[in-house]
Amino acid sequence: MKTRSKKLVALFATVAMTASLLAGCGGGGSNTTEPSDTQATTDDAAATDDAAEATDDAAATDDAAEATDDTAAAGDTNSTPRNETLYFAGQQWGTINDWNPFSTNSNNAMCVQQKDSSRTLIYETMFMFNMLDGQLYPLLATEWAWDDDAMTSMTVKLNADAHWSDGTPLTANDVAYTWDANVKYESSLGMDFPNYVESITAVDDATVSIKCKLDDAGNPTNPLKVQQLLQQMYIMQKAYLEKVEERTGADKEAMKLDKMDDLVASGPYMPFFDDDQKVVFIRDENYWGQAASMWGKLPAPKYIAHVIYADNNAGQVALEAGDVDVCQQFTTDVQKLWEEKNLPITTYIDEPPYGQCATMPSCWMNVEKPGLDQVEVRKAIAMATDFDQIIASAMSNQSPTFAQVPRSTMNPTDGEQAMYDQAAVKDLQFVGKDIEGAKALLDEAGIVDSDGDGIREYNGTPLSFKAECPDGWTDWMASLEIVASSAKEIGIDIQTFFPDTNTFYDDITTGNFEICMNSPSGASITNPWGRCMQFLSSQYADLEVNWSGNWSQYRNDEADEILAKIPLETDEATLKEYYTRLNEIYLTDVPSFALMYRPELFYIVNESVWTGYPMKDDGTNIPPTDCTDGYGIAALYNLTLVE
Amino acid sequence: MKNTIRQVFHSPKFVIGFIIFAALLLTTIIYPIVVATDPLEMVGNGNFFKPGTYVSVKDAVEGSKYTLNVDVQSASLGSKISAEDKEAMKEWLVKFGGVAEADIDIEDAEGLIGLWEANYSENAEQKGLTSSKKKYYVRLNKNIDGILLNNDVIIAQENSETGELEQSASIGSQEFVNTKDVANRRTFILGTDNFGRDVLTELVHATKTSLRVGLIAGVIATLIGLFLGLISGYVGGVVDDLIMFITNMFTVIPSFVLLILISYSVGQNARGVNLVGIIIGITSWTWTTRSVRSQVISLRNRDHVNLSKLSGHSMMRIVLTDILPYLASYVVMAFILQISSGILAEAQLSMLGLGPSTSNAATLGLMMNWATLYAAPLNGSWWAYFPVVITIALIAFSLNLMNTGLDQVFNPQLRD
Repeated sequence: MKTRSKKLVALFATVAMTASLLAGCGGGGSNTTEPSDTQATTDDAAATDDAAEATDDAAATDDAAEATDDTAAAGDTNSTPRNETLYFAGQQWGTINDWNPFSTNSNNAMCVQQKDSSRTLIYETMFMFNMLDGQLYPLLATEWAWDDDAMTSMTVKLNADAHWSDGTPLTANDVAYTWDANVKYESSLGMDFPNYVESITAVDDATVSIKCKLDDAGNPTNPLKVQQLLQQMYIMQKAYLEKVEERTGADKEAMKLDKMDDLVASGPYMPFFDDDQKVVFIRDENYWGQAASMWGKLPAPKYIAHVIYADNNAGQVALEAGDVDVCQQFTTDVQKLWEEKNLPITTYIDEPPYGQCATMPSCWMNVEKPGLDQVEVRKAIAMATDFDQIIASAMSNQSPTFAQVPRSTMNPTDGEQAMYDQAAVKDLQFVGKDIEGAKALLDEAGIVDSDGDGIREYNGTPLSFKAECPDGWTDWMASLEIVASSAKEIGIDIQTFFPDTNTFYDDITTGNFEICMNSPSGASITNPWGRCMQFLSSQYADLEVNWSGNWSQYRNDEADEILAKIPLETDEATLKEYYTRLNEIYLTDVPSFALMYRPELFYIVNESVWTGYPMKDDGTNIPPTDCTDGYGIAALYNLTLVE
Repeated sequence: MKNTIRQVFHSPKFVIGFIIFAALLLTTIIYPIVVATDPLEMVGNGNFFKPGTYVSVKDAVEGSKYTLNVDVQSASLGSKISAEDKEAMKEWLVKFGGVAEADIDIEDAEGLIGLWEANYSENAEQKGLTSSKKKYYVRLNKNIDGILLNNDVIIAQENSETGELEQSASIGSQEFVNTKDVANRRTFILGTDNFGRDVLTELVHATKTSLRVGLIAGVIATLIGLFLGLISGYVGGVVDDLIMFITNMFTVIPSFVLLILISYSVGQNARGVNLVGIIIGITSWTWTTRSVRSQVISLRNRDHVNLSKLSGHSMMRIVLTDILPYLASYVVMAFILQISSGILAEAQLSMLGLGPSTSNAATLGLMMNWATLYAAPLNGSWWAYFPVVITIALIAFSLNLMNTGLDQVFNPQLRD
């Protein structure tokens, strides 16, 4: 009898818990149905069940109403009509901290991103870079030209139609003032470019003159970087900058820390709403770009939204459900989304590597660490690494193999590949997974395992290194694991270490690492020169805090000499010679080696609401830069709703 | 003793738990003897290959053939175009191919394919069709291209001198191979994981590792707990206060946080399987100490203990012969639970990337970690994580079942 009553109590308790659970779900779904009674009886539980179902139905109709009815959404500021909103994923991972292009720690990925191709949703640049053809396309400016053959100064014509979000015209004074402010307040751009740009001045309202910095011989230090500034620097309003200066007392640090949430900009979108759940931009109906001299119309989506997801998996679930339109996230076996799940999802290219690869995440070895200062050790690690496995499993085949595109300082685009002599460096290439070859190389160099623990020693210290990349960067983590397991086979101990992103960047910018994984720059107007700099230039090795490149801290006088000559050289044959020599040095000394090719920007799009995204060979010449960067933003003007 | 063991094995719960546990243990011992491959070998060149037998295509082509009179066409038709595909084809033909809806009979696969091949063009203007749909049709078209022709497949080889292709074999559609004839084949009963490693082999080794971690952790935690509990309970006074002070301190600090901190500071270099076991052991002894202590306190004033004291026996002897036997059943049960929680702790640690390193050992936690990182649950690769979950559940379940069984035997209050 005793046990029976116990069982009854247990049953009762279970029912009570189930009922309260259901009631909880119902309550969460909507406010309209409150479970009338929380007393736990079986009948009641069933009733709540029904109620929960009813709530689900209500939610479904809500969705439908939201999609068709604008006014329904007006009551709730943070929901926008689905068919006017383009949802992104994979850019913004936390509550945004500012809207400030000067900031050195801005995490506002959708607004402030001045990289190889600047993101121009809110702030705009003078030109847009198109990675497909390597050309600059007009945005705020219509044309640029060198004033002379020596490339010492440049004249830029602004678009007369350009105006700010407050309606005032955008003039050459704004451009000049923006440059001065960048230099004065030492933004990262303002720290880098004064090495190449002497001054930017307004000739008249629509004409800007850029003077290059000259070296002792009277030559410009680097005309390529001057061109890069055109596509990289966000132009800001003089009046607004003066307003910010006033409230910050023109203090350097205060300027960088200002939130600038009252911004005035020239781009097609303005901030609309943001919190820890999502960021929403709203179209500026008064955007200057609808003038015939620019786009001739407004971008199709009225709202740009980016929900802040917890991790890649959450983003992928949302993409599959059609809650995300444009997703820039590494997705394992992405082809399964359409081949097996039959979802209306696609990528820029229908087959591997699915995107336009433009960069090559590399394994950088700190040549200042004992052991890694030996070229044999570096080369042996590279030779042993199983690159095919990295590309097939870590990268899920989303990269061309090194058999298809041999390793070099050039990215896998045809344009860059043609700029060096592949045949000349053929003998220097390593195929990977060459365990015997790597062993022989080390044995020959006298780096052997003398104490029998399976790990080779150099000068008495075992070759044991720590290889790091940020935690959560799945493909990179797996790549380093494969590097480590290959190295184990040749008697070099590599442990993987996955710190958080900030620690990682602290480590690599201060040289406090042994082996790390990082990407050089992708496609930009200065490349491949800029990327060769990142692989080989001692200029970066000398930096105390090095965000720029050459994290291996490799030094080679000959490479430095060639790198200094390239920006001034215009003869293609000579350039090819230079680049070939640089690649010989790169492949001989192996300060770093590429593990895979990657798109710098890419997208996986779900076409359940929007369609018309740029696809390879569709004749639009719009690069797949996530619909936001450089000339890739042109995609927003071609989008249409799915019928 | 014999009697106790017989009693224990009469408890059905204990027996079930024991059988499950013994089966797992035996598998981890026997399997590696039968299958000698390295569990960390990256065999598959890709992510998450499906479970099944993989045979070498080259061997199959070159091997002996058998002609079977079976209808191969309808099977390959069925595998290449589904009912949905047929609907989609019809839709395209009506919308863009200029075919009248009445002319299309979706049941007649051959007719439909004929119409399709006559009318479909990749470059036709397909207004209103999304890119994903367009690409779907291109793939579908490629898939059914030549499906109706019953042509032989020609195998050609490149002549090393002239560089021209020369036919070396032709394969008819009725030709079959016996998979047993194929020399190069590999069976992955549970497919491969994201690194292309054989999941079953990895799982067996991981279970072994986990059991070892659990055992080390359990032994250490139980020994420390028992030792401190015995001293604290028997000696009492200042010693008791001191030990209880330390124990309480450790109880207040969540042991998992402690575990994470220690593992992190030790560094991955030193973090082998044994060390992880030790770390788990030294962070999870507190509750054993507390319960042993309270039991000892209730035991130390029993008559037989007092008699021993009066007889002048040493403390060591009293503790070992007069107190410990009374605790034995409890300690065994606590030990079993410690193993179980040790295994779970290792899985949790490895899932955070703080366990043994991926290139050195296979553990259940690491398998879970990589399966989650590569989104196995999202892309339907159940074999990469579900067997792991089941194994962890089985280990914990069997140990807990044994514990409950023992409890029923030893605890007079629960005896029937």
